[in-house]
Amino acid sequence: MAILTLDHVVKRFGDFTAVDDLSFSVPEGGIFGFLGGNGAGKTTSLRMALDILRPTSGKIEILGRSPGRENASEIGFLPEERGLYRRMKVLETIVYFGELKGMDAAKATAEGKRLIERFGLGEWTKATVDKLSKGMQQKVQVAAAMVNSPKLLILDEPFSGLDPVNQQVLEDLVMEMARKGTTVVFSTHVMQHAERMTSRLLLLSRGKKVFEGTQEEARARLPGRLTITSQADPSSLPGVVAAQRIGGSESWSDWDIEMKVGSDLGALLQQCTTNGFALRRFESHRPSLHDVFIRLVGSAQEIAQ
Amino acid sequence: MKSIFLVAIREYRQIASTRGFWVMLLILPLVIAATQVAGRFIRPQLNSAYVLVDATGEYADSIHHRIELNRQRFELGDLSAYAQRWGAGSAKPDAVWAKGDRWFSEQQVEQFIAEGGAPAALELIKPKLPKDAPVYELEPPPVVLADVPAGVPVDQGPDALAAGLAPYLQDVIDTPLGERPLGLAVYIPADVGPTSPIRMWTNGAPNASLIDAMRSEVLRIQRARALVAGGVAPELAAQLVDTSLPLEVSAPPQGEGRELVAIRSVLPLALSYLLMVTVMVTGSMMLQSVIEERSNKLLESVLACIRPSDLMYGKLLGLGAIGVTIIAVWVGAAVFAAFSVQGMVADIVKPSLAAFNEPWMIIAMAFYFFAGYLIISMLYLAIGALSNSLQDAQSYLMPVIFLITLPVVFMMVQVVQTPNGTLPVVMSWIPLYTPFAMLARMTAGVSMMEVLATGAMLAVFVVVEMYLLGRVFQASLLRTGQPPKLGGFIAMMFGKQTQ
Repeated sequence: MAILTLDHVVKRFGDFTAVDDLSFSVPEGGIFGFLGGNGAGKTTSLRMALDILRPTSGKIEILGRSPGRENASEIGFLPEERGLYRRMKVLETIVYFGELKGMDAAKATAEGKRLIERFGLGEWTKATVDKLSKGMQQKVQVAAAMVNSPKLLILDEPFSGLDPVNQQVLEDLVMEMARKGTTVVFSTHVMQHAERMTSRLLLLSRGKKVFEGTQEEARARLPGRLTITSQADPSSLPGVVAAQRIGGSESWSDWDIEMKVGSDLGALLQQCTTNGFALRRFESHRPSLHDVFIRLVGSAQEIAQ
Repeated sequence: MKSIFLVAIREYRQIASTRGFWVMLLILPLVIAATQVAGRFIRPQLNSAYVLVDATGEYADSIHHRIELNRQRFELGDLSAYAQRWGAGSAKPDAVWAKGDRWFSEQQVEQFIAEGGAPAALELIKPKLPKDAPVYELEPPPVVLADVPAGVPVDQGPDALAAGLAPYLQDVIDTPLGERPLGLAVYIPADVGPTSPIRMWTNGAPNASLIDAMRSEVLRIQRARALVAGGVAPELAAQLVDTSLPLEVSAPPQGEGRELVAIRSVLPLALSYLLMVTVMVTGSMMLQSVIEERSNKLLESVLACIRPSDLMYGKLLGLGAIGVTIIAVWVGAAVFAAFSVQGMVADIVKPSLAAFNEPWMIIAMAFYFFAGYLIISMLYLAIGALSNSLQDAQSYLMPVIFLITLPVVFMMVQVVQTPNGTLPVVMSWIPLYTPFAMLARMTAGVSMMEVLATGAMLAVFVVVEMYLLGRVFQASLLRTGQPPKLGGFIAMMFGKQTQ
């Protein structure tokens, strides 16, 4: 069952189309990665799912309902641009957001205290936010997003601004929530996080969907790459698009091989063995999500922006 | 609805936790208290003494009498107003103080003195006074004659007298009423004339009316002498210099006429002024609150939980409650002060309250106050949402503040003179100013029809303003980049998203 579905959604701001005919669905459970460069439409799509923005056309369904604040009690949201009321105390802040999401004060307070301890902020419970470091403030905001133990946790660039230690703390917390059944949708343009955490991916470029599926399916979109050491030229082997000699001796050469998209490398190895194509080395390269992103989104420059 | 209250409570708590709020809240009570303390303990020393050396022996008695007459004239005026204010004239209807006059001839003052002056009059008045009448306090004479201190030469000419009195002019001198600063010393030479003038020495802060009384009395005597020297019979000369203009001035009793108009305007004007101050104060708080949320980038988290309209209404409610708190404390302090100042309640507060003689006036005033708050607060909210920083806000705010305050201040000044003058009436029909103008004019004979018509117009304006500026507020919350220009602003009002 899908917990979030966008169906041919378009969002325009004047003449600018931020989201262009976007359709995808997020299955319940697991962690869904929302990948794209700057200006790809990630934040706009998430804002539409939360009813902060209304789509120009198309249909959105979240938790089986239309977007609206009535869903707030089951959603946790950490926006990309973060801030807190500077003169509010840490616990007050978390309880305030809990109450805004429909929790009663006592429950929000209990859960807020638990999260504060979990983030190592126990001694700051009664401190005002302006006394905290930036990293601590980020933790408070994460706690405010999670205080209602949401069914759906939406994190927009959650790791930006966090040091590596706190990135790990947040990553562990997100993984734990996912294990407990919370569906997590998070947007990022840092592929390492997506690679480690996500079960499914959506790739966006300039408001359009480029890919939706699992990481393996994404990798399968890229041509396979091999390094082999053979006596003969592998260019004529089935599925080989290009082979380049990269070193070796007089009798044995090292080759970098690019295969056709969708080629079965196991079948190629079997064929070499069967046909007496002598090999000393057969090393397949698994494309990283970064490679997938560059290839599918089309431009490393977009990431650099 | 719960979201609105949550936002309102948060806004209230946030503002109430600032030092600025408490300073503002307490500043009026503190000023009132300080004024009271200052009034009691730092009362300016106006009383003084004078010394008169009359080498001719001909002027002194007349001068003392003139000074006493002047003092009694003021006393008579105050007593007459007091008797009239508290309806005590019936105690002795033919007494000069019982007629409610404010201008008195020499003969009337003489009669007053002859009848025992203020102490005798007060004995007659006392049984006729109502219970809430303040006590009439007899003040000691502002100037009193002191004897020349022993050791100061009075018969060795003016310079010796000046040298002898010099230490006293810098300090105090003994008088029949105790020690007083010596304000003035006068020497009238035996051959007073153009070559031998009257000499006066002051301590730098003399009683001006005292000098004036001396001058006029010496002049009067000298004129009479000149007339006699010119062949005019002494009796006729005396009559000529004592001739006064036969003048009888009629004025409305105290508390009536223009005075009543002014008194009745006190409360409405105070309310109008209070509205202006409160909306400006809470408006700027609202502005800061929205700018803080925008610049701290926390709005997206809030808007994921509640509607932008709930945020807007919550802010209006929370900061409105701050405004009500300020009003309650300030009005409480003012009421306390009014009751603690003798006669103020009876002289100003009661007549001013009595002007609200129709229940609908109270409802109308509450409506105008509420509508005024919404109109101005929405402007501040929209400006806050449009601005990225307080500097941005200033550029929008300055024209708005001038646009509101200058006409309102002009209007208030005119309301005191002519409540139904052109400016107040015209401003009553301009929605931005309607609450201020109608509040200020409320007790000046405004018809119910005018109240209903301006009220209906105002209600429509508030709804339209809240709808249009509410859209600007909502569209601006997550806006980035430079504040919009006029075109962008209008596009926002009509629901066109520019970003």
